This record gives sequence, C-alpha cells and structure tokens, in this order.
Amino acid sequence: MNLFSKILFTALCFLFSIMSKAVTVQDSQGTFTLDYVPKRIVVLEFSFVDALASINARPIGIADDKDKTRIIKQIKDIIGDWQSVGTRSQPSLEVIASLNPDLIIADFDRHAVIYEDLNKIAPTLILPSRRVVYEKNIEAATVIGKVLGKDKEMQARLAQHKDIMAGFAKQLPQNIEVQFGVAQENYISMHPGKSYVGSVIQSLGIATPAFIKDQKASVHTGLEQLLAINPQYLIIGHYSNKDIVNIWENEYLWGLLRAVQNKQVYHTNDPNVWSRARGTMAAEVIAQELVRILGKEG
Amino acid sequence: MRTLFVSFSLFSLLAFLVVLSLSFGAVSLSISEILSGFTPDSEFYFTIHEYRFPRAVLAVLVGAMMALSGALVQGVIRNPLASPDVLGVSQGAGLAAVVLMTLFPSVSIFWLPWAALAGGISAALLLWALCGAHSSAIKLAITGVAMAALYSSAVDFLMLTRPLEINNALLWLTGSLWGRGWDQVFMILPWLVLLPLAFWLAKRMNLISLGDEVATSLGVSIPVTRLSALAIAVGLTASCVAICGPIGFLGLIAPHLARRLVGGRHQILLPCSMVVGMVILLLADLLARTINPPIELPAGIMTAIIGAPYFLWLLLKTR
Repeated sequence: MNLFSKILFTALCFLFSIMSKAVTVQDSQGTFTLDYVPKRIVVLEFSFVDALASINARPIGIADDKDKTRIIKQIKDIIGDWQSVGTRSQPSLEVIASLNPDLIIADFDRHAVIYEDLNKIAPTLILPSRRVVYEKNIEAATVIGKVLGKDKEMQARLAQHKDIMAGFAKQLPQNIEVQFGVAQENYISMHPGKSYVGSVIQSLGIATPAFIKDQKASVHTGLEQLLAINPQYLIIGHYSNKDIVNIWENEYLWGLLRAVQNKQVYHTNDPNVWSRARGTMAAEVIAQELVRILGKEG
Repeated sequence: MRTLFVSFSLFSLLAFLVVLSLSFGAVSLSISEILSGFTPDSEFYFTIHEYRFPRAVLAVLVGAMMALSGALVQGVIRNPLASPDVLGVSQGAGLAAVVLMTLFPSVSIFWLPWAALAGGISAALLLWALCGAHSSAIKLAITGVAMAALYSSAVDFLMLTRPLEINNALLWLTGSLWGRGWDQVFMILPWLVLLPLAFWLAKRMNLISLGDEVATSLGVSIPVTRLSALAIAVGLTASCVAICGPIGFLGLIAPHLARRLVGGRHQILLPCSMVVGMVILLLADLLARTINPPIELPAGIMTAIIGAPYFLWLLLKTR
C-alpha cells in the first residue's frame, strides 16, 4: 500500500465513521448502542426471527429447539438455512460463540440470566418476546429495525402489516367470541386474553372469553373448566392425532358446550404458528386462517 | 494398597474427564486448541476460558461439596440411604427460589442464589428448632423428610397456581450448570473453608459409627459432633443448591459408591466421596452437553437417570 492509498483509505474511513452514526435504542436492560450494521445475527426466540424476516434480514443462528419445522414456512422461504444454537430455554453458548456473531437478540424472560455471558460473545439486544402481547411485540420489532439500520423498511413493513390485518378484520364477523387452545394428552392448554394469540384475536375486533381475559399464561383446562369458559367459537390446535379431545368428544359434558351445539369447534394441525411463532408474519398467518375458518360465517 | 490404587484410578479418571469436558461439546477441540483457548486473543477464548473451563471447575467444586455433605449426613444419621435431602435443605432452598420467581417476578434474577441460600439455611434451622439438640438420628431424619415433603408440596402448589413462571422454575429445580461461569465459581469458593472442618470431624465420626453408647464412652460428645457435622453438611448443600439448583441423587450415591470402594473409615471415605462426586457431576454435565448438541440438558436430569436406578438397587439390596 503506497502513501497515497493509505491517505485515501484513512480519509474514507473517517468519512464513513461520520456518515454512519451509532444507533442507540432502549432495550429491556437499558440503553443499547451499536455503531455498525450487524451482519452475523444470532436470535434466541421465534418472534425475533419473524422480525428479521419481515425486513429481509437473515439470522445465521437460531435457538430453534433443534427442530427446523418450528420456524414457519413463510419465514423459512425468506431466511433460507441457519444453524441451530440449541433450545430457547437453554441455548448453547459455545455454539453461539463458534458462529462469531456481531449481534445477539435475546428474550428478556428467558435469557436475562445469561445476558452477561452473551455480551462477552457479542453485543446483545435483549427484548421482550415470551409472554408478551401483540402490541409489545410490534414495539420490539421496531427496535430491531432500528438496530439493523433498516428503520424505514421496518416502518413500511409494519404499516403494510397494519393494512393486511385491517383487511382480514373486515372479512371477519364482529361481535363474536373466539378461544384458541392446544390439545395435550390430558388437558387443553387455553391461550387467554393477555397471551400473544389472544391479543392478536382481539386486535381483529373479536372478543376472547371473559372468564380468562386477564390471564397471561396458558391455562391448563379440564372439561369442566372448559364448560365454565364455554366459548362461542373454539379453535383447537393438535400436535398429534391422539389427544384429550378424542376422549372428551364421547363425554356428556362436551355436548353441553355451546361451541359444540352450534357446530363452532374448529381444528388446526398447525398450532405451532398460533402458540409459538409470535411475530407480525405469524399474526398474518393466524388472521388468514381465522378468515378461512370464520370468514363465511359473517 | 487398595486405597492407593483406588485413589490413583479416581484421579486419573477425573483428569481424563476434565480434558474431555474441555474438548467436547457442541464444537470439538484438539488439545492444542484447548491450550490456546486460555490466551485472551485466541478464537477459542470464550469457549474454553469463559465457558467450558469455569463450568468444569464448578462441576468439580459442586460435585465434591455435595458428595462430602452426603458422606457427613450418612455418617451421623448412620444410614447409607440418608442424604442431605433428608434434612430438607435442598427443598427449602427450592421453595425459597420458587417463591422469589413466582411471587416477586420483578426482582432481579441475581438475587436468586441468595434467596435459595437463605431458604436452605432456614430449613435447617427450623429442623433444629423442631428436633432440638439431643434428639435421636432417626427422629431428625423422619422430621427432615416430612419437612422436605411439605416444602415440595408448597413448591407444587405455587407452580400450579402461578403457571406464568412455571418453566423457569422447573428448569431451576432440575439443577443445571448451564449459564454458570466464573461469577458462580467465586461465589462458591468461600464455602470451601468448611472442608478442613469436615476432615477434623472424621475420627469422631468413625467412633459414632460404633453406636452412640460406645462413642460416648470413648469420649465423643454425640450432640456436638452430630450438630457440627450436620451444620457443615447444611452449609455445603445450601451453597451448592443456591448456585446450581438441587442436583438430585449426587449426595446420596457418591458417598455410597465411595464406601464400596474404600470402606467406612472417614479419613479416607470423606476425600474419596469428594472425588467420586467430582467424577459423577463432571460426567453428568459432559453427557448433558454432548448427547444431542446443541441441545443442553440439565445436569440434574443426568444424575437422576444414573442415580434413581442405583438408589432402587440399593433399596432392594438392603432389605
């Protein structure tokens, strides 16, 4: 490198450092500053993958519970392949380190314990994901857009998302009440009013049962409790063909549910997107499926 | 001679496991890469110096302390099926941790070890208050088990009524070395002062194993010895549980295995239990990390998988 090119290089570096000003945002631990555009991003919750995909950013590593089917197809189509970094509850720090990330996006609820370790690997943005309602999730997506230097794209995508959701809301009947639950081996796990899917349903102008309206965590429900909740519409997610609903369908109390009597029980074989994905793209898939199930009713 | 051979084999096994722990995981490293990992500018610095090495150190410390605690309790209760669990210390610590997680979710997670420590020690103090200093070993054990059951049911009640925090609490209650590093190693180091105290009791504990009357006639104060041994065991268990969560069966099987290897003389039994405890916990954590990477299982699950059948076999054999 001769003297001229050295001077030119230094000048260019100086110019870029002025142009690219550091991004500062508020995350769950306080102020987060990043003075470069991250390229190698590792994310530890599904809603963050959704946020990245919605602005065409690709994570190199995802805590996907070592099960690639947990990333919904719409997102997979955008982000391509990635490396698994373990479970969301206990991601493998050494795999994260081996990927040499320049940004880690972690969930406040799950990963506050390892925040300092993560920060030793790469700057860590810690945001709420788990047990967070729809609106908070959009706020987190906005922050991610800023940190990735794609604030405009994210704003545009969120505006588009708002339109899409409004479009779906128009096709849905109003003044109805919908409850979503995942069937397990011996109970149904109901997602109440303050859960992610509950708040998505409410954002579409549909009510969720008042009985569990203010609960955040999923409610493990037996048949008698289900009758107490007695939702107008019931959407049940099935992970397998053998779950408690098979047994309940033969019981007397099941027939007393108003959703059963009015034939307003629906089934989905993709509860993953309803219960785990949590993101704007996932919300669109949920809304679309609601329209498919309930749309003609209106 | 036998003792020499056993200790040599155990220490070789331990050294071998430490090297394995450093080299295997989600990413396999060679010996030269491991050594380079101790210099700050190496690309493996985080993996080795910040992750695998402190974790191995912690496994060694916690394994040794839990095993020693178990050997002390088995020694003074005079029952090979006894373990620190019969004192209700782990369950008390667990209850305190779950109370903190469920009832005070806004409190910083960094208070968790302190809450667990306080819970474990309070459980022991409560047991002492209930039984008094002069109670028999069996009364102590039965009261302890009853209290432990009470704490466990309180934990279940809290988790069922507040499902919001259930996953974090469950994870903590299995006992794990995940996410633990140098900070936790430094938190546990001060408790090592209990080790010389435990060895100092070794001779008296040999006499206790002859029976209360014989021991007393040989000049051992039963209440003092029992109380000091149990207090040391409580300190060791509570500090370990506070850091790693209650890692099950370790305090039960490690001293028991050691007794089969070197016999019941406490001067040898206590250190041998410690090394066996180190080996078991290192192995459990190594398996938990490498069985299906990058998924990390809690080490407590592995010790339970190894420990539960051993315990059953023990029960059937002693009958």
